[in-house]
Amino acid sequence: MSATLLLSIPILLVGAGLCVGLASNRASAAVAIVSQGVATVLVLASIVPLLAGGSAVELTWSWPQPIESVTFRIDALSAFFLSWSLPMTLIGTIYAIGYLRPSLAAGRRGGPHYALLNMVSLSFVLIYSVHNALVFLLGWEIAAVSAWLLVIWDYRNQKIRFAGFNYLVSTHVGLFVLVAAFMLLHSNTDSMDFVAFGQFLSHKSSARSTIFLLLCVAFGLKSAFFPFHTWLPRAHSAAPAHVSALMSGVIHKAGLFGFIRFTLLMGQPEEWMGWSVLAFGAMSAFFGVLYTSTQRDLKRLLGYSSTENVGIAAMGFGIGYLGWSWNVPALAIAGFAGGLLHILNHAFFKCLLFYAAGAIYRAVHTVDLERLGGLGKKLPATAAMFLIGGLAIAALPPFNGFVSELVIYSGLLSGSAPSSEENVVLVAAAAVLAFVGAVSAVSMVRAFGLTFLGTPRDPSIHVREDGHGGPDAPPPMLGAMGLHLLGVVALGVAPELGLGLTQATLDLIPVGTVANHPEILAPFAPIIWASRILAVVLLAIVVVQWRQRHEARRSVTWGCGYTAPSPRMQYTGSSFSEHLARIFSSFLPALRRERLPVEPFPQQPGHLSTHHADPVERRMYEVLGQAEGFISQASERIPEQPRFAFAAGLVAIVVIGALVVAAVSP
Amino acid sequence: MMIASLVALLVMPIVLTGVINRVKALWSGRKGPPILQLAYDLLRLVRKTPVYSTTTGPVFRIAPYVMLATSIGSAMIVPLLGGRPIVSFPFDFVWFAYIWALGRVASMLAALDTGSSFEGMGAAREATFSTLLEPALFLVTGTLCLVSSTHVLYEALNPALTTGASFVIWVSAIVALVIVIQVETARMPVDDPTTHLELTMVHEVMILDHSGPELAALQLSGAIKLFVGASLIAALVNPFSGSIGVIVQIALALGLGVAIATIESLMARLRLRTVPHYIVIALAAGTIALLATAWRSGGAA
Repeated sequence: MSATLLLSIPILLVGAGLCVGLASNRASAAVAIVSQGVATVLVLASIVPLLAGGSAVELTWSWPQPIESVTFRIDALSAFFLSWSLPMTLIGTIYAIGYLRPSLAAGRRGGPHYALLNMVSLSFVLIYSVHNALVFLLGWEIAAVSAWLLVIWDYRNQKIRFAGFNYLVSTHVGLFVLVAAFMLLHSNTDSMDFVAFGQFLSHKSSARSTIFLLLCVAFGLKSAFFPFHTWLPRAHSAAPAHVSALMSGVIHKAGLFGFIRFTLLMGQPEEWMGWSVLAFGAMSAFFGVLYTSTQRDLKRLLGYSSTENVGIAAMGFGIGYLGWSWNVPALAIAGFAGGLLHILNHAFFKCLLFYAAGAIYRAVHTVDLERLGGLGKKLPATAAMFLIGGLAIAALPPFNGFVSELVIYSGLLSGSAPSSEENVVLVAAAAVLAFVGAVSAVSMVRAFGLTFLGTPRDPSIHVREDGHGGPDAPPPMLGAMGLHLLGVVALGVAPELGLGLTQATLDLIPVGTVANHPEILAPFAPIIWASRILAVVLLAIVVVQWRQRHEARRSVTWGCGYTAPSPRMQYTGSSFSEHLARIFSSFLPALRRERLPVEPFPQQPGHLSTHHADPVERRMYEVLGQAEGFISQASERIPEQPRFAFAAGLVAIVVIGALVVAAVSP
Repeated sequence: MMIASLVALLVMPIVLTGVINRVKALWSGRKGPPILQLAYDLLRLVRKTPVYSTTTGPVFRIAPYVMLATSIGSAMIVPLLGGRPIVSFPFDFVWFAYIWALGRVASMLAALDTGSSFEGMGAAREATFSTLLEPALFLVTGTLCLVSSTHVLYEALNPALTTGASFVIWVSAIVALVIVIQVETARMPVDDPTTHLELTMVHEVMILDHSGPELAALQLSGAIKLFVGASLIAALVNPFSGSIGVIVQIALALGLGVAIATIESLMARLRLRTVPHYIVIALAAGTIALLATAWRSGGAA
């Protein structure tokens, strides 16, 4: 059975090779879709028994030294991640056919791009199923490099090359940290096998704490946690829409997968780990969502929202850690179930939103919120999809985001921590989550309202007819969006589906097996029914209003007595978020450039522009600049003799090495 | 009880709004409209044909009914007559907060759909205030749940007032809840429901363009929200149960109406920039309540 899963690797490789080799774009697209489709079917066929509660499948290959043997072990956790990663990559490939059509029609070759999408699928099979550190790193690197090459599709644009390079450097900084963690593990276990790692990690030691922190940093960087997120908004705004969608929704979930994988290897965590994960997640959610509120580039906004959502998932895992360390099953289940479910939900709605953003870009060639407006009439299907995705990401019922946040809330507000001080902290974390939900709703209202409602703010923007019978997105793009929309709604009104996928993984956690505590998820049944009723009511409202859409009188918007309003007088993105940005100005520094009009009859035209740069990135560059200045000053003091420079370098290396050894020695 | 609650849901929002308007009229030396004026207004509006702005689309027409549906949905889990609400289930207070948020999102989207800068202004203000309100609401409900060791809203609204700490929790929860309800229902000193002076308003400016049945839906939804909020506070204050409890609950809700009318007649609205500070009081009160729970159990141990 596991052999069928591994059969997908050669199929994907052959598909990728054919894609590169074939001259015709149409043929390479077909090859990519067929090979990914076959691989998906093979993978799904082999993981269904695992999701239903079957035992893990293991397969060991002998390999020449120094590796000796490579173990593939597919358990419920692998199955959970594989069950949606490959199908979503396939959907992304279908979307790409529609999205890339103008460039391909202009003579670009799409083959390599499709081949890279195949490689992304391949990296999932490797990362999620292998139990060997070297092969894990190989898969990790395939994913990183493929994603980089996918991002720089429009490589002639210097900004896009820079964004790609920024991503490549950041992801490799993360790789170094991951390699450091693996090297520490190897030096302690003399093995590259995860099982040996697990045996070492199950005992408390200072090396374990160091490794835990290193892994958190490496996986946090992969999943774009605050403050390791600086590469993300750039990469997401530069990449083609389907690449942003896959990176944000699917590829970067590998970081969270790694985190859970090593959690399971480690066994019962210590309490401080739970608190750190909870705090780290809450911080990420808080800052991520604040940054979404002021962005003017729609795809940057969605990128920051990834930081927010992985933060929410990590809050869930933090609760799970705490529940596990305190041996409180209710808390452990709620935390891990909420976190895993949120990962799945986020994959659904974030891809949907990025796909909709891609449809906007296809139609008007910009995603600048300050220039858009009134697109709802031109792109009705895209507008409806974006609205539902936005409501889901704001965790509003009856869509899927609400369910996972509800499960996390149920952990935070359960009051089942051992002492009341701990309960107080958990309720405070629930308040942070409530804040995150509210700001995320505001950001989505802002993004949807400015893009699709009102009238266009920039008269120079024209919706481009695409030659397929209307300005709205072509069928492959609408189809891809529709599939994700289906997931968003289905997981909202029937969360049993999502919880069912996570259940086998939860059973791997000894303290909180659902099998032993079936009552823990039971309290949600009434809310789920309430969600269903709400869904029916909303549908009824939409249908009734839709049928009466022609029976009304029309007039202009009430201008409060002013009779010559212009589209430029509409509320803009920066004015919408100005009040909020002022309240949180210490976290959201604004760069203002202004020349305000003087005198009652100004001679010069005035202007005002505000810009919210990423404070972490600015600070990072400031620090790097200062450090560079410091080093160049210091190096000027060293006499111009190579001997001295060499000695100084040697001393620095010895000191750093000594510090590292001191830090990791037990 | 359930049927009585449904009747209350039908009648009380109209009566409560009528009482507020009557008391406000008395304060300003007028006789005032009949208590059931809102019902007459609603009937009149429902018979009219709506007029839509040419800028607006489906969102504008759907939003009012979404708001009405969410108001009614939230009323279902609040003990309108004390005792038990119409339905109750674990974590219904999370549902309550998020369904209100859905209604709020609908109203903001409808406002943006008109393309009017005034309505955009109102939506932006509503959005900003909501980000501070939600944490305050969760602090209060989460604390009350901790105190009563429950996950159901109506049980959490009856904390046992045995120790000094629980008294502190109770008082700060009431303070926080009053502020939350004032902001949510667009009442003084946060918002002035009587004027349409666009530059200063929050809620009223967002419904400027609605007309006919949709305006009726919005007005009814606002009235229901007000009654739901008043019932929440009344249930938290009300120490009685049984039939006395019902009478006290209604009296408290109407009393809150009188208090709202009095505040509105005697006070000016806060400056918009100070409204967030006012909401921060709710956050602070919620935090005090939460910290007091640790003190409570610390004293017990």
